[in-house]
Amino acid sequence: MQDVAVIGVGLSKHVSKRRDVNIAELVYEAVSAAYDDAGVSPRDMDAVITGNMPAFEGVNMPELWGAGHWGAYGKPLLRITTGGTTGGSVVHGAFYAVASGMFDTVIAISFEKQSDGDTTMGLNSVGIADFAAILHFGTDPEFLVSAGGGAIGIVAYQATSYMKSSGCTTHHYDKVAAMCRSNAARNPYAHLKQPDITPEDVAKTDMMEYPLRFGHCCPATDGACAMIITSADKAKKMTGRPAYIKSCASCSDEAAIIGIFGGGPAHLDPCSQEGCKKAAEKAYKLAGIKEPRKEIDVAEPYAPFANQLLMFYERLFLCDEGEAPAVLDSGSMEIDGELPVCPSGGVISTNAIGASAMERIAECALQIMGKAGEHQVNKDVHNAVAHGWGGALNLNVVAVLGDTPRR
Amino acid sequence: MEMKSETTSIPGNWRLDQFRWKTEQVKLMGKFLAGLKEKQVLGLKCPGCGLVYVPPKPFCRCLERPEKWVEVSDEGVVTTFTFSGTWAFRGFEEADESETRIIVGIKLDGADTLGLSLLQGSDPADVDVGMRIKIRWPDAPEGALKDILFVEPA
Repeated sequence: MQDVAVIGVGLSKHVSKRRDVNIAELVYEAVSAAYDDAGVSPRDMDAVITGNMPAFEGVNMPELWGAGHWGAYGKPLLRITTGGTTGGSVVHGAFYAVASGMFDTVIAISFEKQSDGDTTMGLNSVGIADFAAILHFGTDPEFLVSAGGGAIGIVAYQATSYMKSSGCTTHHYDKVAAMCRSNAARNPYAHLKQPDITPEDVAKTDMMEYPLRFGHCCPATDGACAMIITSADKAKKMTGRPAYIKSCASCSDEAAIIGIFGGGPAHLDPCSQEGCKKAAEKAYKLAGIKEPRKEIDVAEPYAPFANQLLMFYERLFLCDEGEAPAVLDSGSMEIDGELPVCPSGGVISTNAIGASAMERIAECALQIMGKAGEHQVNKDVHNAVAHGWGGALNLNVVAVLGDTPRR
Repeated sequence: MEMKSETTSIPGNWRLDQFRWKTEQVKLMGKFLAGLKEKQVLGLKCPGCGLVYVPPKPFCRCLERPEKWVEVSDEGVVTTFTFSGTWAFRGFEEADESETRIIVGIKLDGADTLGLSLLQGSDPADVDVGMRIKIRWPDAPEGALKDILFVEPA
């Protein structure tokens, strides 16, 4: 197995609606930026690995549309689609391709152009195995609608049970949202930039689904991300400071057909996220990280909703269970804190769904390479952890990046 | 060229109840739903790890196949909750702001799975994780999932 490194990162502009570009052109912005950042051309790529959630745009096989723009002609091309985790899974795919020795240099591409389609309709197609079954067995369709729609209809239940188990209040969720949005204001590729937002401002926004307010929720974004991933040997020759991908690990806790709302895989607490813990344990072990809370310098948990930042911070073993609200209160998660969390602004500020889990890894790479610009954290970054949450409900992906190879 | 509006609606419906499946899940659910008709909640127990699935499933997360039927209690505990306005039932025009539906995640005693129900007979301010509840059975259960739709404080 060869060591793997990131030598280039590219991001498109991220906004609600891009009417000036189509899917292929939007993605090209990120792809060309990644080629430029790494100082390579499409001719240097041995394979192209891409992904998004086609159901969200209503465009199937978008990689065929984009192949020309992205430099994929005449090359192995693979699409990976795993829900919110898509971008993370695409990097996992690129990691496997290079680590195995099959390919030396690949480009990993992920994107979502949500304004071209209807994401909630797409989410319904993900849940159809359960919705169809539940209706078939005689539940009240109106109850199904009222019990929760879209992603927030899943996450609200995590947020309530997390408040009980950790003892935190919605004020902590307000603080998380304000922290992330002000970090986003430093990031030119973030979508919702609110430099002066306060927790009090967030608390005044409309209730979406108890306990989550409008200010606790991510926007729907058009955007793309691309990364050039190569072997450690080549990376050393091509750039002064690559970001090594030390490990990737994932865990699926999925179950459809009477599996909706967690009943399927028999998890009683929607905030327990055992799959995240399993993936994190494995990723740290493979990366040689023994004490994550001491060795990790930056964390990018996948948190489209404010409560998830605290929940996943714990499930990534960055503090004890139930302690994340106190860590937030201590100021340690701030961009100039001891262990900055989501210096990019996080998914709560920018959510081009298929790209979001990759953008967590991309941010870790930028922080390690020292290329994060205004949102560069105020400390040396030796190790960083990136996370993705998605699938239908419970797929978790974790990657550990570092400034040195794995061994 | 005249630009059209970005969103076009096409009326139609998709009858999800028109499918007549004969799958393994349908066979298991047939027994489960027959139990509801007798005001009995049945679960399927895994021989490997002992988890009890309500409703039944043909596969356990430990990769064994649950096969032993057991009866579980119609009482249990609230594991999580949220609220829903009546708009979800009647549309925004007919919504009654003063009425709040309490949606609760419940674990029935003896079951190892989480389901969603509507909590009745409780003030929204009183609902909490850990609260004891019991199923509010209809007088004449139909043998459908909606027989266990409503719960009340136990």
